[in-house]
Amino acid sequence: MRIDARRLTKRYGGLVALDDVSVELAPGKITAVLGENGAGKSTLLKLLGGLEPATSGEVVLDGRARERWTLADARDAGVFVVHQHFSLVPSFTGLQNLMLGDEPVGPLGALRPRPLRDRAERTMREAGLGVDLGARVSAMSLGERQRLEILRVLVRGATTLLFDEPTATQTRGEASRLYAMMRRLADGGATVTVVTHHLDEVVAHADAVVVLRRGRRAFAGGVRDKTIDELARLALGDAPSAVTPPPLDHDAPIALELDALRGRRVDVPSLRVRRGEIVGVAGVDGNGQDELVELISGLSTALGGRVLLDGASLDGLDVAARRAAGLGTVFADRHRFGVVMGATVHDNLMLGELGGDEAARARARLLASGASPARPELPIEAFSGGNQQKIVLARALDRRLVALVVAQPTRGIDAAAAADVRRRLARAATDGSAILLLSSDLDELRQLSHRLIVLHRGRVVAELAPDVDEAALGRAMLGASAA
Amino acid sequence: MTLTRPHARAIVAAAIVLLTFDLLVFAAGESPWIALSRGLAGSLGTAYGVGQVLYKATSLAIAGAAFSVAYRAGLFNVGLEGQLSLAALASGVVGARLGWAPWWLALPLAVAAAVAVGGAWAAIAAWLRVAFGAHEVITTILLNRLADALIPLALAHGLGDGGVRTGDVAHAATIPRLSTLTHALAGSAASLAVVLAVLTPALLDRWERRSIAGRELGLVGPSPDACRAAGVPVARRLFAALTLSGALAGLTACGVVLGYKGHYELGMTAGTGFAGIAVGLLGRGRPLGLLAAALLVGALQQAGLVLNASVPKEATDVLFGVVILAVAIAGRREEAR
Ligand SMILES: Nc1ncnc2c1ncn2[C@@H]1O[C@H](COP(=O)(O)OP(=O)(O)OP(=O)(O)O)[C@@H](O)[C@H]1O
Ligand SMILES: [Mg+2]
Repeated sequence: MRIDARRLTKRYGGLVALDDVSVELAPGKITAVLGENGAGKSTLLKLLGGLEPATSGEVVLDGRARERWTLADARDAGVFVVHQHFSLVPSFTGLQNLMLGDEPVGPLGALRPRPLRDRAERTMREAGLGVDLGARVSAMSLGERQRLEILRVLVRGATTLLFDEPTATQTRGEASRLYAMMRRLADGGATVTVVTHHLDEVVAHADAVVVLRRGRRAFAGGVRDKTIDELARLALGDAPSAVTPPPLDHDAPIALELDALRGRRVDVPSLRVRRGEIVGVAGVDGNGQDELVELISGLSTALGGRVLLDGASLDGLDVAARRAAGLGTVFADRHRFGVVMGATVHDNLMLGELGGDEAARARARLLASGASPARPELPIEAFSGGNQQKIVLARALDRRLVALVVAQPTRGIDAAAAADVRRRLARAATDGSAILLLSSDLDELRQLSHRLIVLHRGRVVAELAPDVDEAALGRAMLGASAA
Repeated sequence: MTLTRPHARAIVAAAIVLLTFDLLVFAAGESPWIALSRGLAGSLGTAYGVGQVLYKATSLAIAGAAFSVAYRAGLFNVGLEGQLSLAALASGVVGARLGWAPWWLALPLAVAAAVAVGGAWAAIAAWLRVAFGAHEVITTILLNRLADALIPLALAHGLGDGGVRTGDVAHAATIPRLSTLTHALAGSAASLAVVLAVLTPALLDRWERRSIAGRELGLVGPSPDACRAAGVPVARRLFAALTLSGALAGLTACGVVLGYKGHYELGMTAGTGFAGIAVGLLGRGRPLGLLAAALLVGALQQAGLVLNASVPKEATDVLFGVVILAVAIAGRREEAR
């Protein structure tokens, strides 16, 4: 189905999130939506998907303007948004999540999962989606959750799919598989729209591109003749430059040490990070990265081993005490461990550090974060996804640290802001912090790290130079022993 | 039905209440108009009636504040009933033994006993929650039952007069009735505890906005994981919130025992804790909201008593439920869509 936005405008109070935007989304094509954080990409998707009413303008389906466009209307028309933040129930299995809200029942009201399971399995084969329907969501990797989320809308008859940053949590290999699946859907006649901050994906996989800038449409057209630099200029005004790590002093003292650190899913015999050193941690998501960060931060208790900061054991110290000792942490799961929804931007900036000269410190952090709008009194929900991430980073980065453990620091933020965050990380290293950088963005790891380690099933399976070729890194991530 | 505008919702809510009222009264064989005027006259139409409403609202406002402070931290304190009744017993027992003390010592001691016992009873649930993750709804319900069983036992074995009540509270430990200030309220149960009902929600609100611990309560509620990850002492905050909730339940008991009856007797506070939950939810934890909700529920309860002769209590209970639902619908905010 062809779906057009005609002069859509969305205002939140005095703020114009989307300003008179018209776009045409054609069936059989993959259309990418680009733009910096807060440009209005998610807003456009929400309006098209019927999740929020437009302030003015209309949605046009196959040439027919729809004056009423609610969630129910969108679903009836097969239009679905696949969110940046999943809406799955962790304690349910894949199949139970598929049924949720749309339970197939027999004549006597008994649950009949059978036909649905068959349908889901057929859809998975057709679209090339692998999901273990019997496994609990809590045990699934982010990639698998993503596929389940897509499967859910497909079995409900989605023919127009609006993806909000589906690749933000994925490695490039996973992202390529996702695009291959989208291509199959498009070839089957579906209308596919993808919001992304990764310009290389657009060049490699999209047919058309829409660029938003501060709520307005800055460009719409084909992608065939565009280079990454051209797209960057369209979306950001400029192509961001690469960041390099500061020179490493090999005699610098060890600032962060993991000594036989062991949790339920990770086991790191020994890892030493010097002052000023950036060690990148590569690995397919779900290989123990999250627990590693939790163990170091003090959020969960190790089964054995120690974490040492400047040579002193952090044994028995809680999160606050470790922070006071000079440890900074950024967790990968922003929604769970990063922001407090319902609270103000100010409270989110100062979380865990209330009191004292708060207003001034919050203002300084907000300014340094580059998040907009620069209004700390707003609820955090009023910030776009990328701007929320900047708030979380601002909390960790605003003081001098002995060691910094950051997971997915640039997830969801635009290329220019990402370069800015990388520069701040490099500067922190220059100032003497030891940095452990966990990321699914291999370019980021290779750009910023002095050396790379690879986690597989909770173990360090390889230690590599950052200029290692991508194939070797990929092999290591899949568990092949070090080359 | 798309009732998006607040006004439209308020009108519909009011209409639902009136209709339900008409039907119920009619079914009981009364004229709705006469019942309405008698109910109004008995609750807000006479000085005595107003005094009774104030008395009920006093307990409800403090109990509502008690519920709210836990709710803010994401905890649902179903245990107000048990905390209230044990605290009431404590104030009665201590109050009855304070014949020797001057009022400036006796009253604070009796109040402190109630607050301490209410807080301690809630602290058990708080500890179970923080140390073992036991859900407070389950544990507080169990603790309610336990309190129900303990109180008669205590009254029968030493703490009471051997029957179903404690001895009389020493005069020095009582809270003066409002009727000592103005003759118009003669005979009504309202006491100076009304001051507590106004102050408690306001002070609590101030604490929740200004103090670090209070503000963190409001952050721990919606997102305990993010707070833990940022180094907020989540367990301590949860423990404090539920314990404070119980302590305020204890304060509620003072209005009843020290302000009105002058002793504790079995079942005296029954229902106040549950009504306090309704008030807390209706008032959304805001000071004026709590007071308004307490007055509303208090007036309904009093009107129900007045009509008791002609309209069965069950009918007024149904009406009470409908009113709460209606207010909840009318007050629903946009964000809750
Ligand atoms: N509920 C809301 N209340 C107020 N403002 C909002 C709300 N939702 C979004 N906004 C504002 O609308 C603008 C567009 O936000 P949107 O989420 O569409 O950005 P985005 O392009 O998706 O950004 P990102 O790349 O960071 O995800 C932002 O300035 C944001 O602050
Ligand atoms: Mg977005």
